[in-house]
Amino acid sequence: MTPPIGSQLVDLGSALLLLTCFGIVAQRRLSACVDLFALQSIFLALTATLVALLTGIHHIYIAAALTIVIKAIVIPRILKKVIERLNVSRELVMNINVPASLLICGVLVMVAFLITQPIIPFGHLLTRDSLAIALAIVLIGFFTMIARQKAVTQMIAFLVMENGLFLGATAATYGMPLIVELGVFFDVLVAALIAGIYTNRLQDAFDSVDTAHLSELKE
Amino acid sequence: MSDFATTIAISLLLLAPLVAGGLSLLLSSSRWLHVTNLTSMGTLVAAEVMITRSVFAQGSVTALGEIVYIDALSSVILFIIGTVGLACSLYMRSYMDEQVVHGVIAPKRLNLFFFLFHMFLLAMVTATVANSLGVQWVAIEATTLATTFLIAFWRRRESLEAGWKYLILCSVGISLALFGVVLMYYSSLRVLGDVSSALNITQLQQVAEQLDSHILKLAFVFLFVGYGTKVGLVPMHSWLPDAYTEAPAPVAAMLAGVLETVAVYAILRCRGIVDQAVPPDFTGGLLAGFGLVSFALAAFFILVQHNYKRLFAYSSIEHMGLAMVGFGVGGPIGNFGGLFHLVNHAFAKSLAFFAAGNIHRRFKTVEIDEVRGLTTVLPWSALALLIAGLALAALPPFALFSSEIQIVTALGSSGPPGDWTSQGARFLVVILLLGSLIAFAGLLYRITGMVWGIAPKGVVPGEQWSVGHVPIIFLGAVLVGFCWALPPPLQQLFDTASTLLVKR
Repeated sequence: MTPPIGSQLVDLGSALLLLTCFGIVAQRRLSACVDLFALQSIFLALTATLVALLTGIHHIYIAAALTIVIKAIVIPRILKKVIERLNVSRELVMNINVPASLLICGVLVMVAFLITQPIIPFGHLLTRDSLAIALAIVLIGFFTMIARQKAVTQMIAFLVMENGLFLGATAATYGMPLIVELGVFFDVLVAALIAGIYTNRLQDAFDSVDTAHLSELKE
Repeated sequence: MSDFATTIAISLLLLAPLVAGGLSLLLSSSRWLHVTNLTSMGTLVAAEVMITRSVFAQGSVTALGEIVYIDALSSVILFIIGTVGLACSLYMRSYMDEQVVHGVIAPKRLNLFFFLFHMFLLAMVTATVANSLGVQWVAIEATTLATTFLIAFWRRRESLEAGWKYLILCSVGISLALFGVVLMYYSSLRVLGDVSSALNITQLQQVAEQLDSHILKLAFVFLFVGYGTKVGLVPMHSWLPDAYTEAPAPVAAMLAGVLETVAVYAILRCRGIVDQAVPPDFTGGLLAGFGLVSFALAAFFILVQHNYKRLFAYSSIEHMGLAMVGFGVGGPIGNFGGLFHLVNHAFAKSLAFFAAGNIHRRFKTVEIDEVRGLTTVLPWSALALLIAGLALAALPPFALFSSEIQIVTALGSSGPPGDWTSQGARFLVVILLLGSLIAFAGLLYRITGMVWGIAPKGVVPGEQWSVGHVPIIFLGAVLVGFCWALPPPLQQLFDTASTLLVKR
């Protein structure tokens, strides 16, 4: 495969990741959000595999495999269980409505490209533009965290940020050292577990996972 | 000291909390849980003393195949972890047992508490000794995960709320820091090539001058915002007052005394590398700017608090802001002041939370207005609260007074980083002094009200002696003592560490 086609394929993968982000922002059904996140993780693993294939760096394969197992299978299952147990199927409370959210996300993508503009020329030819897309995904995750109030959606937003970071690490540096990569995976998995247990506790205590109810602590 | 002995000491440092955590899960009697905890803390402190001695002999220590890197700066942080950790363990001996006796927590859940406590310690020690910035990030994220359930340990609605806010805000903040770490790696790969040690502090320090300044600037902004969330700098501080209020007293003491310090350490580590390629005014300006804003805003919040735990939480934000100003201004005085302030704050804040824990247990309220006559109800804790309060208000003869004076002197003499006119610099000094005056008034007004007066009816007077009083007396004595004279080894340690900070 010639480098231009390879780099275009990597760009395509990154773009698909970004597209699923917009899907998550536009989606009200929680289970669909989880599915979209799983799909995004698969795109991420495919993009990483592609980079590994083109560069011949083997430890990216391990990271890609872990992405499939943890982010596309295990975590979505945990989240689905949580949704089932809590009996909430839709995101009802939106601090910012869907059309406005999508517009803001569009602006965030531009901001991400603007910020990374000065440093992009230093990057590898293969994955040059993915760094900007990675930052865009992180920012969109950040925004979703603020714009949505269900604990489950906030959790998905956090995981989306994590996906963006992973894409960034793959794009900018062909993956972080393996020990760091493994540590990050471990942290994400534990975070998802904790959040899963936690949403159950919240449900028991407040009869709701709407974080707007979390307002007893005030000045 | 031989390399072998140092390696043993470092392994002990990491193994003690790991083994104790594992054991805690298996044990069920509170007595053995405490024995395990105290043994592990004792081992940790002993190991840390040994390591500090070899740091003195060699300058810096790398061990276990370059995974561990310890210099004077990390030794200062280890000193804080060890001392505050030991004090907390002693305090927990009486505090946790009483909670079990009163039925606040089921005896079965005590081992979970200790397990999480040890994991929290392990994560903080790892973050301090890690050579790789990536491993350091993983460890700091792990502290978030370990403490979420510790903060919500009482399982009240409010504690669940505080825990959730903490988990979400800190995870998000820390994610931004990971982006910073990725960018650091990005910049160093261009110089070092694709090696897995390209994130190591030892490697980065060697090539720091050749790194690209654009990338480093961007990386530092992300790292600063991320770890700054953990430090509790305004405007990323909103989780902090809730978490400190709802966490059990020893956990709050650890969060305020140690966790914040470890996050500051992470920022300083990255700064040491960035400053070699970027003019130091860039990082200094960020630190001093955010520090000043945090300091000024927290001072106002101290003035309007009605809840004594929140009062101490805002005082944490205030003092961390002040330490940041010290590091931001830099120079020998600023850095020494900042470092010394971190140490003093850790001690004063744990003392404050120990006192607050005792008061909460007796009065069953966190409202300042409902707590009166502590001198008759809890004389020892009243003394502890008074000492902690006066120390946090930075009055002489307490150590925070001397460190605060150092920071103000540094700002006044060398001015803030960047191009400031002497008028502007003077204005900032006035803000700093005004802020400390406000905080001083707020703290003193609230605390004296609690200490004196007539105790409300229905509160049992009298305080029985317990093991938990040992750390209270120790910390109080240290806070007074450090203002007059630092023990020579500590003086040497702080001096070496602040020279390290100045050089970079």
